[in-house]
Amino acid sequence: ALNSELFRELENGRIARLMMKLGTVNERQEFEGDRAWSENGERYMLKLFRDYVFHQVDSNGNPVMDIGHMIRCLNKLDAGVDERICLTSRDEQTSFVVSYKELKKQLVNAFNELIKAAKPG
Amino acid sequence: MDGDWDEVARVPFPPPGVHALPTQVTTMTFDTTQELLWAGNDYGRVTSFLSSELQQHTSFKAHQATDGPVRQILTNSKGVVVLGSKDVHMANRRGPPIWHLRHDDMKDLRCMSFTSKGTAEIIAAGLQDSMFVIDLIKGEVVKQVRTEHQYSIMKRGRYICAATRNGSVDLLDPVTFAVVKTWNAHSALINDMDAQHDFIVTCGYSLRQGQNYMLDPFLNVFDIRKMASMPPIPFPAGAAYVRMHPRMLTTSIVVSQSGQMHVVDLMNPNTSNVRQANVLSYLSMFEIAPSGEAMALTDAECLIHLWGSPSKLHFVDLPAPVEFATPEEAIHQLDWTPESPLNSVGLPYYRQVLASSWPELPSDVGAPPVKFDTQFLASLKPTDFALYGRNMRGLRRNQLEDTRSVHKSANSGLKAPKFLSEKARDLAKSESSSAGDK
Repeated sequence: ALNSELFRELENGRIARLMMKLGTVNERQEFEGDRAWSENGERYMLKLFRDYVFHQVDSNGNPVMDIGHMIRCLNKLDAGVDERICLTSRDEQTSFVVSYKELKKQLVNAFNELIKAAKPG
Repeated sequence: MDGDWDEVARVPFPPPGVHALPTQVTTMTFDTTQELLWAGNDYGRVTSFLSSELQQHTSFKAHQATDGPVRQILTNSKGVVVLGSKDVHMANRRGPPIWHLRHDDMKDLRCMSFTSKGTAEIIAAGLQDSMFVIDLIKGEVVKQVRTEHQYSIMKRGRYICAATRNGSVDLLDPVTFAVVKTWNAHSALINDMDAQHDFIVTCGYSLRQGQNYMLDPFLNVFDIRKMASMPPIPFPAGAAYVRMHPRMLTTSIVVSQSGQMHVVDLMNPNTSNVRQANVLSYLSMFEIAPSGEAMALTDAECLIHLWGSPSKLHFVDLPAPVEFATPEEAIHQLDWTPESPLNSVGLPYYRQVLASSWPELPSDVGAPPVKFDTQFLASLKPTDFALYGRNMRGLRRNQLEDTRSVHKSANSGLKAPKFLSEKARDLAKSESSSAGDK
């Protein structure tokens, strides 16, 4: 019982850390105008992924609040699986077919870039 | 062209916005390995269309709309290369970018071609004085080549055939890019060109009465083996577009602006097979698939027409599978309650370090909250949801504040007693900071 309680909390921590990474990286003002984050840049997919996970809607455009979907997506990102998903821009003009593995690589790169820029101490 | 060839699909190129009108295709090309047709528009957008229904597959922006139309698209095993006037973009067929190249000397690029290095290198040229040799694997400019002529169309045959703005074609050596031979194909300008094995074929304009551009009523042919032009092939309707048949080495397909299509054997021009494409406006482009079993036409009404035999139509002979999103496996529905543990959704099997692994970074968890200056607070207007006003604190937005030391100095009037170890630490700190000031 204690072990399963511990596992539960371990899991929460993992998801919280992943969300913190996404939070530190997405929509930073200093990335504005950076080509990598623009519509034809490689980081653009991370923005679209955030929408894919948290801004899911049903066929009528009403928000879908499925924590199962959110955790499933986050877990697949955490492990960087080969599964491919279709990410669509808000104007529905851009559609990418991208794997979680590629998304994970982008997240890790973007986060490492922030760490490098952070002043030690 | 077989007897049962017909129009099998017709789709508009998608508009640039939700309520906008469809857009003209500025360039298109059949993929060399997958059942895809690639097309670009005036807004820098590239869209792929899937097999005989031309169903929209992926779509991405190769460059900003302000940088103008997509000029040309080439495909290789790694992805698609997209030429804009001021940049070159390479993307995965699924959409994600691979690299993006911009250079100050890229001013008005119009065309590109693979070089002697298979599909690993291209040369890009345009209405400008330099050409760029680009390594597609590294995504880098390898060399800049000065050119006396400015080019608008390039095709890779035995030589790189480059059409100039005044109606002639330069044959460039694919290794050194030196002009081997110049062929004066048309008197005013070249509208379309193709090259394959021993032949170059062109459609072009001449100036009539010194003021009107008129499409020449013939197809011009150049024999590369003999390095000489052949007698022109008559096409009374006005030859606007031409492609060599990829399988039938001496056969070319010529199309007029109004949609008349002729299949002509260059060695035997008297026997030709005639078809009419159903267009209300005029045709703006024509392309043939690598298999020779499909043709695409675009018109001024922004439509793409696909032609072929309804039973045999395919773009490439041994197509690599198109990569779609992985189908969702059936998920058992969980009843989420406030007590459901987050680990009821399992983590997939993994071998690499997880994305959530946090590096060893110092973090401050117990610092007291920020104290606001009373003067600052007084400058704010109260509302029922918050206080608001300008940022007058002399700090950036979201700037970190060291509340531990601020707290100390603010309370300097009433010092809490300290342990000896704390006193020693404070002393060390103040010494090191004053040393730092010098």
